[in-house]
Amino acid sequence: MNNLAESQTQRRPSQTLKPTGRVKLFVRKQIDSKRHLSVMTILFLFFAWWLVTSMGWANPLFLPSPAAVADSFLEVSLEGYQGSTLLEHIGTSLYRILFAFFMACLVGIPLGIMMGISHSFHQVFNPVIEFYRPLPPLGLYTLLVMWLGIGETSKLALLFLSGLPGIIIATIQAVSDINPNYVRAARSVGAKRWDLIREVYLPGAGPTILTGMRISLGFIYTVLVAAEIVAATAGIGWMIWDAAKFLLSDVVIMGLIVLGITGMLLDLTLKIFGRILMPWTAVKKM
Amino acid sequence: MKFIRKVLSTSLLFAMSASMASADAPEEVTVGYLNLVNAQLVTKSLGLVQKEMPGVKINYIKVGGGGDMLRAIAGDQIDFGGLGNPPTAIGVTRDLPITGIMVLNMLDYVEAMAVRTSANIKKLEDLKGKTIAAPFGSTTHYLLLNALNDEGINPASMKIIDLRPNDIALAWSRGDIDAAWFWEPALGKVLKDDGNLFMTSGIMAARGYPTWDVGVVMNRFAKKHPEYVEKFVRAECAGIDYWLNNPVKTAAIIADELELSLEDATRMMKGTEMVPCAKQLTQQYIGTSNKKGQFVDTLISTATFLKDQKRLPKVPSRETFETFLDASYLEAVSK
Repeated sequence: MNNLAESQTQRRPSQTLKPTGRVKLFVRKQIDSKRHLSVMTILFLFFAWWLVTSMGWANPLFLPSPAAVADSFLEVSLEGYQGSTLLEHIGTSLYRILFAFFMACLVGIPLGIMMGISHSFHQVFNPVIEFYRPLPPLGLYTLLVMWLGIGETSKLALLFLSGLPGIIIATIQAVSDINPNYVRAARSVGAKRWDLIREVYLPGAGPTILTGMRISLGFIYTVLVAAEIVAATAGIGWMIWDAAKFLLSDVVIMGLIVLGITGMLLDLTLKIFGRILMPWTAVKKM
Repeated sequence: MKFIRKVLSTSLLFAMSASMASADAPEEVTVGYLNLVNAQLVTKSLGLVQKEMPGVKINYIKVGGGGDMLRAIAGDQIDFGGLGNPPTAIGVTRDLPITGIMVLNMLDYVEAMAVRTSANIKKLEDLKGKTIAAPFGSTTHYLLLNALNDEGINPASMKIIDLRPNDIALAWSRGDIDAAWFWEPALGKVLKDDGNLFMTSGIMAARGYPTWDVGVVMNRFAKKHPEYVEKFVRAECAGIDYWLNNPVKTAAIIADELELSLEDATRMMKGTEMVPCAKQLTQQYIGTSNKKGQFVDTLISTATFLKDQKRLPKVPSRETFETFLDASYLEAVSK
C-alpha cells in the first residue's frame, strides 16, 4: 500500500491539475480502509480477554478481568499507587525517557553524521559502539550503579546508552546513502563542509535519521522497567515491578497498557514532527 | 469365561500400573532456598535431601528474597521454597497454590537495621530526611514500617527505597544510603564499613512482631508425591538437628557455602534461631493439625498491616491461614 501511495505522489504532480487534493484523498481512502481492520483487531482482543476471564478459563492471578484492570486504573489515577498518582508515575517515567532520548539525539546525530562523512571518525568510534550495543541492559546497569550510584543519574545513563546506538547507526546509514552527485553538485557551487552538512547531508538524511530516532525511542522504552527496578520510588516501570512483587496483576497489566499507549503516542508525535520538518516525506511516512 | 478372565486380568493390570504410577518417584525435585543463613544450607551441603530421595535429581536454586520467591512460585518453577511472613501473607491472600509445612528459622539479629556511624543516628526520629533501604515486601520492610508506625513517625518524612540485599551493600559502600534493614550475609559487609547495629528483628519480635521463614511446598507436588514431602521435611529436620548439635562444624559449612570467614559465619548463626521439629508442633509455632499455633496470628496481623499499606486487597479469614499451615508432615516425622 505504501509503495502505491508513494508512486502516486511521485507521478501525479506532472499529470493532474490539482494534484495534492487528489493524492490526499487517495491516501485517506487507503488509511481508512486499513484502519477498520485495526479497530477490529483491538475489539477482538478485548472480546477474547473478556471471554476468557468471564468464563473462568484463566486464573485471575495471572489474567485479571478487564473490569479489574479498569478498576485499578481508576484507583491509581485518583488515589495513587504507593504515594504517587498515575499521572505522577507517567510524568516521572516520561521525564526519564525524554531526557535520555533528547541526549541520545544530541550526541548520536552529530556523531553519526561525522562517522558517515569521515572514514577515520568511523574507525575511531565504531569499535566502542559495536562492542556495547549487544550488551544486555541489566549487565550494563550493574556497572552503571557502581559508577554512578542508585540515584537518577544511573537510570538516565542506562536509558541514554540504550537509545544511542540505534540513532548513530541509522544516521551513518542515512549519510552514506546520499547520492554523491548531490555532494559534488554542491561543491561545484562552492559549498564548504559545514554548508554540505546543513544543506545536503541533514535534509537528505532526514527521513532515515527520523526512522533511527523512532527505533531509538523504542529501545529506550523497552529498557524502562529495568532502569526503574533499582531504588526507584516512582515511575510506571517501578509501579509494574513493585506491583508484581505483591502479585497485584491488575496493576501490572494496567501499567503495561499505559506504557503501550504512551509509547504509541510518543511515536506518533515523532512522526508528526517529521512531517512538519520534512514535508516532502509526508505521504511516505504515513 | 475366557472373556471375563481377560477383562479381569487387564483391569487388574491397569489398576496395578495406576497404583504404581502414583507411588512413582518424581524425576526431579527443585528446592528454591533463600539467600540467608539457616539450616537449609546444612541440609544442602550434606546432601540430606538427596539421601532421603535416592535416584531423584535434586536441584537447588538460590533466590534473593521473598518477592523473587513469590514470582518463582507463581511461575511454577520450584517444588519447595521458603518465605518470610509478609510474602507468605501475600501469597496466601492471592491464592498461590502453596502449603506451609515447617519452620525454617526464627529471625533474630541475622536481620537488622544498620545505620552509618558518621550519620549520627541515635533514635528512629533521626532517620527523618535520610535515605533508608529495605527489600520491599520482605520481613525487614514490614518491620521498618511497623517500627516507624509504633513511634508515630511518618514514613514519608524520609526516603525509603527498594533495594535487594546485595544492592544495599553496594549502595552503602558508595555512600548513597544512611540506613538499611536487611539480612546476612550482606549485612556483615555493611557492619564492617562504618555501620552500626541499630535495631534487630529480635528486638521487634519481643515487641510483638515476630518474623520467620516458613518452608512451603507447591500443592501440585504435595498432592502427587505426599511421601516425598515427608522425606523433604525429614531431611530439613535432620539439618536443623545437625545445626543444633554441631555448631562448630555447622559454622564451617556456612562459611564454605557463603564464602565467609569462620568468625562471620559463627556470628550470623547466633543471630538466627533454629527450632527442633518436635518443638515446631507447639503453640508458639505451627501447632498441631487439631490446633494451629501462633503462626496463624502472625500471618493475620501481617496481612492486616499489608492491607493498610494498600499492598493487599483483603485480609483472608483465619481459616484460610489455618488451612495453609499443614502440620501433618511434621507430625509424621516427629513420631
